[in-house]
Order: sequence, then C-alpha cells, then structure tokens
Amino acid sequence: MSEAVQPVLSMRGIDKSFGGLRAVIDGHLEAHAGEVLAIVGDNGAGKSTLIKVLTGVYQADAGEIRVGGQPAHFRNRRDSINAGIDAVYQNLALVDLLPAPANVFLGHERVVKVLGIPFLDNRGMRRETVRILQERVGVHLDGLDQPALNLSGGQRQAVAIARAVNAADLKVLVLDEPVAALGPQETKATLDLVRSVRDKGIAVIIISHNLEHVFAVADRVQVMRGGRVVGVVNTAESTKREVLGLIVGAETEEVLEA
Amino acid sequence: MTTATGPVAHRRRELPWWSRFINVLGPMIMIVALCIVMAFAQPRFFGVPNLMIILHDMAIYMVLGMAMTLVITARGIDLSIGAVAALSAVVMAMLIKDGGWNAYLAMAAAVGIGLVCGFVNSVIITRIRVPDLLATLAMDQVYRGIALVLAAGTVLAQFPDPIPFIGRGRLFDTVPVSAVVGILALLLGFVLYNYTFIGRYAAAIGGNKESAILAGINVVRHKTYQYVLMGGAAAVAGILLTGRLNAVQATVGQGFALHTIAAVVVGGTVLFGGRGTMVGTLVGVTLLSMVTNAMVMLRFPFFWQLVASGVIIIASIGFYSYMLRRDNKDKEDF
Repeated sequence: MSEAVQPVLSMRGIDKSFGGLRAVIDGHLEAHAGEVLAIVGDNGAGKSTLIKVLTGVYQADAGEIRVGGQPAHFRNRRDSINAGIDAVYQNLALVDLLPAPANVFLGHERVVKVLGIPFLDNRGMRRETVRILQERVGVHLDGLDQPALNLSGGQRQAVAIARAVNAADLKVLVLDEPVAALGPQETKATLDLVRSVRDKGIAVIIISHNLEHVFAVADRVQVMRGGRVVGVVNTAESTKREVLGLIVGAETEEVLEA
Repeated sequence: MTTATGPVAHRRRELPWWSRFINVLGPMIMIVALCIVMAFAQPRFFGVPNLMIILHDMAIYMVLGMAMTLVITARGIDLSIGAVAALSAVVMAMLIKDGGWNAYLAMAAAVGIGLVCGFVNSVIITRIRVPDLLATLAMDQVYRGIALVLAAGTVLAQFPDPIPFIGRGRLFDTVPVSAVVGILALLLGFVLYNYTFIGRYAAAIGGNKESAILAGINVVRHKTYQYVLMGGAAAVAGILLTGRLNAVQATVGQGFALHTIAAVVVGGTVLFGGRGTMVGTLVGVTLLSMVTNAMVMLRFPFFWQLVASGVIIIASIGFYSYMLRRDNKDKEDF
C-alpha cells in the first residue's frame, strides 16, 4: 500500500495508558476512502482503546491524528464527529426509550425555525429516517414510533448504523463488533450494508473477532497484540491462518507487511 | 377486563393501542373513583366555589409540574422548589412593601431570583458534582434560611392589584387567572418536551446518559437549562401563592417539592428518567389536588392529612417502581 494516494485518515505513534496499564503502544492506522479496514486482535489487544482515541472518547498521551492530511486534535466526541468520523459501538449507544427517528438524529436534530426559535422537525426526521433506512441500510422498519427498546437486535443495529451514516459529511465509519449479537440473516444484511457504505466512498473501519466475516468484507486487516500493531495484510493476498497466527503471536517473522 | 398480567410467553413486542394511555388511565380511574366517593360523601365537593379552590391549587402545581417533568425526565430531582418559591415571593413582597417598587417590576425580580436559584443548583450539581437529590435538599435549607432572615418573622400582606389578580382574580368573571397561567405553563412544557432540544435531550440524558454524551450532547448545559427553568417555575408558583393569599411569609411552600414530584410520577413520568409526559402531569396534578381538597372537605384533621399525603406519595411511587421492575423482567423473555 505505498501508492501516492493520501489516506483520508492516519494515526501515528499513539500511546495511551490507564494508570500502569499501557493499553496502546505506538498505535497507528491508515484508512482510505472506499476501503474497508478490519482491526483484529485478542481481548485486551488495544483495538477498542485505539478506536476510542480516534473517536475522541479518550485522549492519547502521545501521537498524532491526521484527517485528509491535516493534523486533528479531538478533545471530545463532538470534535471527532465534526471531522467526519463517527462510530457505532458494540452496545449501539441507542437511547432505548426514544423511538428510531429520535435516535437516528440524536445530536444533530433537524429544526424548523419559527420566529427564529428552533423547533424539532419531528415529521421531517421521521420521513428522512424511513428514507435512510430504506435506501442506505436496505431495511424496512415497522415500529418507527415505538421506543427502540421494542425493536429486534438487527433493527437496532440498522438504526445505529443509520445514525452514523446520517452524520454530516461522514468520511470514516467505525463499526465496533457490528455482527457480534446478530443472527445469520441479520449478519448478512449488516455485511452488505458495510459494502454499500464503502461503495459510497466512505472509509470503513470494522473491529471484529470473526475472521470469516473479516475476510468476507475487509480489504485490509490490521492485527493488534498487547497494545501494539503487529501486522497489516491485504485480505486478497493473505489467509485466515496467517492472520490467526499474527493474533496469537506465532509466525510473526514470516509476515512483515507493516 | 384486560389486564397487563397475561401469560408472559404470549407477549409480543407490539403493544395494544391502549397501552399508550396506560400511564394516564390509572390516575383517570382514581379521579373517577374519587368523584364517585365524594358524590355520596360530600356533594359540596362539586360546587363552583370548591371547584375554584381546586383550580387555584392546581394552577400552582401545573407550573411546578411542567418544569419538574423535564427535570425528572433527565433523571434529576429538585427538592428546593418550596424554598425557592418562598424566597422569590418574600423578596418580591419586600420590594413592593419596603422598597416601593412597581408590582410588575417586583414580579420580574422574583422570577429573576428563581432563575438564579435554579442556576446555583445546576452549578452545584454539574460542576461540584453533588448528586441532584442531596444538592437540592441542602440548597432548600439555604434558600429557606435566607428567606427567613429577610422576612424576620413578619407576614407581608395587601399587595397592589396585579398580584392578587393573578393569584385569585378571574378573567371575564369566570376563568381563574392563575389556572390560565398554569395551563399556559403546561402548554409551554408540552412544546418544550416534544418539539425542542430541551425536551429531547432531557429524555436522552435521562434515558441513557452515556449514549447522550456519545451523541455529542452537552449534558452540563442541558442540566443547567432544566434547573434554571425549574427555578423560574418555582418563582412563578411563589407569585401565584402570594396572590392567592394576598400575603406571604418565609415559611410558605414547604410541601411543594414532594407534592409536585408525586403528581409528576403519578402522571406517568418515569422517576428514573428517560420518559416524561406533560399530559400525564396535568392528570397527576388534577388527581393530587382533588385528593388534598377531598380530605379537607371530609374534615380529616390536618395532621392526618400530612400522614395521608405522605402515604399517597410512597404508594404511587412504589407502584410505578413495581411496574417498571415488572416491565424489565418481561424484557428478559424477548
């Protein structure tokens, strides 16, 4: 991957410690528009910490983040969203008592101004939610006025992804274990969605344990172990065996793509 | 009769249409039951003079309940509203009586003091990070203390016209002005809750604070909005009460907080945050004011009234906690 194409996102030399625990050491990653990058690794390998630094939830002790070549500093999640980076977390981060449209637009509601006062455009948001779900997520949702609590796991996932896709000027979509809690059909729908989001020119970063899914959807795989990046491979030129070896720490010498 | 206690295995995620009104249905049934009891026990309950008394009482709790609904929806609570009402009203009275202020200006000053008290509460909660319950319980003492010091044991009475007019006057000789103020407050609350960031983010913060923060919602700012609004509402309630009695002293409004919280929770706003309802608050306020009035009409000794209202509050909140627990238990079957 040494073409002159500038990555839409790059992280370099990221360090993050919690007390004595060094969660990420010299973490780095590059994400390209129209590409799916998978981050794999055992529990505690530093995947989630690295991603939380990217999304502004944690602040790195050292290192730099560049978006579109420009240095970026994320003090909080809002900064990260404004830079075009949005994430769907494992727990989906939905507000269970609010219905789907309120969740999809949470944090960037549509308003109608009446006498200069912003009022929520509930109808507009509901209409737009139907459109996003149908055209960009490929899901039809019945319980649009019900609390998200009453939706199925797959429907909740769709709402969470619709929310991220809906974020203004999305450049990088991060999916943390998107299919961990889904059935086969919902998994397929989600992986299709990942592809369709990628095809719209968005860089997708996906964290997963399941190499089957990773090889089905990702263009590159970045392996982390003990807080360090131990390898980056192209899925087209690699095998699950090889990646598995990197995850557990064998055969490291044989693959030196990074 | 259809009850919610059918076999759990047959439950579906699709809830019956009437479940949307279940929160209001319970208190509505209680209102009807109370009316039936009073029809036999004391028909004067339905006389126009008594209905006016109930309306005047409701007006105060409509104003308080509107703001409290937003506070509780965001998983907060404000126990200081009685003292804020007293402090604002006492200052207003002193500005008029001792300072010779114009009554309108004095009322504006009272609302200003309420807003400041609410802001102080929010700073203590969001910046010093004292839990809502303890912060407002302690500030209740502070505001009450200041009101007592200022009033120095006196009763201030006989105010110029706009104040008694707001408290007990009638529009076109029929509609109590204070009830109009109360309804307007609830309408404002309805719009705030359903059509503005203030309501939407209160529900988000109370429903899932972590998610709200992840969505980029400024929790500190919105907690501040809620408590400032609550403080302003408490001041308006203080003005209404002062107008109704055409007198005020520093000890008024002691039952405001519990009574308001009970009305809001009886109406179906979830005490543990995430979901509120202004319509429910209207019904809850109606029920509680009617119960209080009925006890007076039935000549319950005052001290027993205190016992009864405490028991009603515990019973209603306990009932909704039980419902909530049961609902969550059902969720495990999904």
